[in-house]
Amino acid sequence: MIEVKNVVKRFDGFTALDGASLSVPTGSVYGLVGPNGAGKSTIIRHLTGIYRQDEGSVAIGGEDVWENAGLKARVAAIPDDWYYFLQSTVRDMMRFYKGFYPQFSMERYEKLKEVFSIDEKRVIRRLSKGMQKQVAFWLALSCMPDYLILDEPVDGLDPVMRRQVWSLVMGDVAERGTTVLVSSHNLRELEDVCDHVGIMDKGKVLLERSLAQLQDNMVKMQVVFRDGQEVPADLPVLHVSRVGRIHTLIMRMNAQEAAARLAVYDPMLVDAVPLTLEEIFIYELGGADYAVKDIVL
Amino acid sequence: MQSKTSFSKYFNATLFRRNLTRFWPLWGMASFAGSLFPLALLVQFLRGEDFYMWNRPLDFTEMYYYAAAYAVPIVSLLYAILCAMLVWSYLYNSRSVGLMHTLPIRREGLFFTNFLSGMAMMLIPYVIVGALCVLVSVVGGCFDAKGLGVTILAVLGLSFFYFATATAAAFITGNIFALPAVYFLLHFLAVMLDWLVCTFSQGFIFGLSGGYSGVVEWLSPTVYLENHLRVSGTYEEVFQRGELTGVGYYTDVLTAVELQNLWLIGVYALAGAALLAIAWLLYRRRRSESAGDVVAVGWMKPVFRYGVTGLSALLGGLLLYELFWRSFQSGRYYEVLPLLVCMLVAGAIGYYGASMLLAKSLRVFRGSWRGLALTAAGCALVCAVLYFDVLGVADRVPEVSRVEKMTLYTADNNYTFYPDEDAALMERVRAVHQAIAADRNYIMGITGQEDWRSQPIIGDASFHVTYYLSSGLKVNRYYYLPISQQRLAQAGTYDNLLDSLVNSDEMKDRRIHLNDARFAPTGGSVYVERRNEGYDLSSRECAALQEAVARDAAAGAWGQYAWLESDWGGEYALSLELSFTYMNDEGDTSRDWISISLRPGMDNTISCLKELGFITEADLVTNSQLYPEAYDDTGDMAEKFAQEMEAVESVGIIGGADGPTTVYVTG
Repeated sequence: MIEVKNVVKRFDGFTALDGASLSVPTGSVYGLVGPNGAGKSTIIRHLTGIYRQDEGSVAIGGEDVWENAGLKARVAAIPDDWYYFLQSTVRDMMRFYKGFYPQFSMERYEKLKEVFSIDEKRVIRRLSKGMQKQVAFWLALSCMPDYLILDEPVDGLDPVMRRQVWSLVMGDVAERGTTVLVSSHNLRELEDVCDHVGIMDKGKVLLERSLAQLQDNMVKMQVVFRDGQEVPADLPVLHVSRVGRIHTLIMRMNAQEAAARLAVYDPMLVDAVPLTLEEIFIYELGGADYAVKDIVL
Repeated sequence: MQSKTSFSKYFNATLFRRNLTRFWPLWGMASFAGSLFPLALLVQFLRGEDFYMWNRPLDFTEMYYYAAAYAVPIVSLLYAILCAMLVWSYLYNSRSVGLMHTLPIRREGLFFTNFLSGMAMMLIPYVIVGALCVLVSVVGGCFDAKGLGVTILAVLGLSFFYFATATAAAFITGNIFALPAVYFLLHFLAVMLDWLVCTFSQGFIFGLSGGYSGVVEWLSPTVYLENHLRVSGTYEEVFQRGELTGVGYYTDVLTAVELQNLWLIGVYALAGAALLAIAWLLYRRRRSESAGDVVAVGWMKPVFRYGVTGLSALLGGLLLYELFWRSFQSGRYYEVLPLLVCMLVAGAIGYYGASMLLAKSLRVFRGSWRGLALTAAGCALVCAVLYFDVLGVADRVPEVSRVEKMTLYTADNNYTFYPDEDAALMERVRAVHQAIAADRNYIMGITGQEDWRSQPIIGDASFHVTYYLSSGLKVNRYYYLPISQQRLAQAGTYDNLLDSLVNSDEMKDRRIHLNDARFAPTGGSVYVERRNEGYDLSSRECAALQEAVARDAAAGAWGQYAWLESDWGGEYALSLELSFTYMNDEGDTSRDWISISLRPGMDNTISCLKELGFITEADLVTNSQLYPEAYDDTGDMAEKFAQEMEAVESVGIIGGADGPTTVYVTG
């Protein structure tokens, strides 16, 4: 389990994390979403041991992360700006990682060589950005981590490679019980892979739920009222839109409750449509003056 | 499989190997460059050529010692910062610091592994060059184990010290371009500040001398080591004959060699260990996010800001003053208001420059008035303290009881006094010093006039006295004095006191250094103006001349110093200087010399010079005979001026827009 409690981090007077807390259950894939500058990368740098929090606690598997070499040997991370030595080849970096991570598997490395199809003797600097990202995945997964921490991991990858990479990650989750924390702006992609989601803004985690809980807590209803009737004012809706006679209502309740509330008005048609993660994000935060535009694709 | 050391707490073999393989161009180039010298020697030897001067084990050892004393500190100073810039480079980039701090290794592991990598990079070139030197010495049959051992110790100690200081500098800053600046500041700030403060103060305080006191020189190790590590060789003069010509000659042969003050390297190595511990503490507290900051340690930021401001105000203020005001200044001492303006301008530039570096932004002006006000107050305070001599520096004349040693340079000669032997002479020197300090207005008034030296009956003299106090401090004063014929005869004036001192029998004895075991004659020179020819003296010739001068002094024919140029016409147009090696109580040696004015009547010295073949009877012409026009004019003017001065009742100084003016009041 990854647990961050009330973490505060200040940089020269600017508060980047302001009491952030999150909890990632073991074996889950946790998506951390939020607008630019929300503090996602900062929280990830705490989880990888780069930053030390000013207040609060950062623990993985019940152990503090800071200066915990034994724990960090079981954590692999891919930052959004992965660093490699200037003249290094993939093989050089493999040797480097192998010298630090006790669980590093050459067998896995050799298998993944076929997946990524990159010449390991090539200097990484000369690879494209997408290929460099593949190398980062290749090495991180070869470390056989119990915890995988990914910051904008698939930026720069083509759609086929994205699918391939996620497939590898999900395979690790399924087979080895790897716990994954991933931050991304790409809500549609997270929706496919995450089972838990945390939403951050202004240095705080505003809410965190399982995806099922989120989807159960909000519903999109498509309704056609009789005689062209408008949406009754007493209905608790977050958002209304209309195309022809069809009203689309976003309501903070589950589908059965919403259907029961609408049945009172004897509509001609009532249909519940599941919300996407992107819609949940927009309607959860939209009313609170959050920087929604930053994360909408 | 993981190596056993990979997870050791303090060392990671992978990182160590990676550092050495990544940075091989640096240590490879250094090894190559260093190897050229022993390789050239080896090639010479294999070709059957002589080793010139290195043909015996002691000569080789002397060469090692010279390298260890003078080359290794400089080379290590420069090379250590290059190594540090490479091994600690990861600290200065947010991406690289992210990778290194994500790895499963504690900071102590990173610290010590990187430090050892850097030390290895420091030592590899020395090992290669040393091995080649040993090979050359073995091939040439000149191997000396003791010399090699001492040199290895010196190289190890110096390499450790310099890399430890570079490491400490690396953890003070978060910017790779700032690292060499911080490093060189660490090494040279003390002497730079010493020079700056002395230079600045001597522009205010009467008699304060020297652009550099050396009091804190030990804080600038390279300077201190270069000045105190010494190679001391003992030579024996032996008679040899040339193999081909059979002509006999004397030659010096090295019989013993020693690297003096080697313990200093040990002390600095210990200081390096302390700095390393500080660096480690800084790393433990270091925030990864400081990558890119000029100063990475929070509490050092104000020190940096106001340190740069202060340095800028002093150094920049002096430069601006020299550039814009010096040409308007009369006399040796600063004019306060223009200097204060220059300091304020330079201080403000330094303050904003430092603020911009710290903030990594050009927008630092808002709310900066407090810092500027502090800078202005600081500059004004410094100027006020120095201008009014609040600390009474100009009047300070140390008591003999507080003095361990006194050196004096005056009347073209050096003197060294010790309280046990020379208490009376030291008191007389103090009396002259006190008289000079009391007469500062008179001296500043005359020397402030541009043409004061053209007045014929006013001569000039230097009076440079240094008191080495028991506390280890030094009081160093230098005065450039007008000496007038009238005041020479006036009891109590510094002119009179100085004349009595210099021309006393005791001082004449001290001047010639005869029977003083601390001074060994080493050589000197003779210059014959009539022929424009000069000769160097050997130690034997120097000793012979020293004895001859001493006999003349005993006969009263030598030793009376002439202060006024008009008196020099009667001297022979010959220059004679005798040089000596002076050994102090600690065994340190230095050079000393005396300048001998040759006058008619110095029969012993003249005979000796003739016997040695330096002069002939034709060379015995006086200055006034050789340069009649100069001494005739001077004589006339002197006579006229002397007549005018006889009527002078008092001398005063008045100030004016064009500087101070000396006023002679006649009856």
